[in-house]
Amino acid sequence: MADQELQVTPRKEAAPPEPEFTREGTHYSPAVDIYSNEKELVLLADMPGVSSDNVEIDLRENTLTIIGRISEESEKAQYVLAEYCPGNYYRSFRITEIVDQNKITASMSDGVLKLVLPKVEKAVPRKIPISTD
Amino acid sequence: MFRWRIGRDPFWHEFDRLQRGMDDLFGALTGRAGTAVATPFWSQARLFPLVNVKELPDSYLVTAEIPGMKKEDLEINIEGDTLTLKGERKPVDVGETASYHRRERATGLFQRSLTLPGKLDGENVKAIYKDGVLTVSLKKSAAALPKQIEITSD
Repeated sequence: MADQELQVTPRKEAAPPEPEFTREGTHYSPAVDIYSNEKELVLLADMPGVSSDNVEIDLRENTLTIIGRISEESEKAQYVLAEYCPGNYYRSFRITEIVDQNKITASMSDGVLKLVLPKVEKAVPRKIPISTD
Repeated sequence: MFRWRIGRDPFWHEFDRLQRGMDDLFGALTGRAGTAVATPFWSQARLFPLVNVKELPDSYLVTAEIPGMKKEDLEINIEGDTLTLKGERKPVDVGETASYHRRERATGLFQRSLTLPGKLDGENVKAIYKDGVLTVSLKKSAAALPKQIEITSD
């Protein structure tokens, strides 16, 4: 994989579910990598142009939603070449009971959001003492 | 025999014009930027990374979306009026016991060259990489700046 030339994958528009967003603007679906090891699931999302204070991560009822907002264009000037159009990012996932929802952590650097979702620790077998009355 | 001269065949000019008109109309309705260039589908760039170039009165601003890169993996060169972006997007080290559920982020080498329409001042180039967006600001050479010509009456 490392020797091939990188190709552009065309950006897919996300279709936000009802209700719609109150602000105008295109929303793209960010490319994500999801991998897991024994203790956690890690999600990496490509959201270039989004700084860490413009990310919203919403978790409710087993649905994890990521929204990344870009700031307005600073230079209002004539485009000579426009191959991509900046837009906000939106993607939503359903997480199962394997994930311990209280311990999810997130970090953002260089336009990549990293979400760490630890798996629920398996119940440790233990003996239950009997009390005599 | 078919003549696949789409784009150069005068027969298709009208369709191309219609397509561009519809793109502009659609772009105007949805508030999309970049309608200055509405390329037909078959000539859209498939190179990585996609770039936007803006022209300011005294410089060019080139922006490219390349998330997840380290500065040492990126190389920017200028030769005359050509800008070259080169680099490698390395995959994240996941450890030996990990397994992927989804893999959408591409990794690998990339190289892209752009020739800008005006002459550049090679000494005055600034590049900033912030939040996954590379912004290169290239000043135009003094000879290329617009000059006002005085009218003298003889």
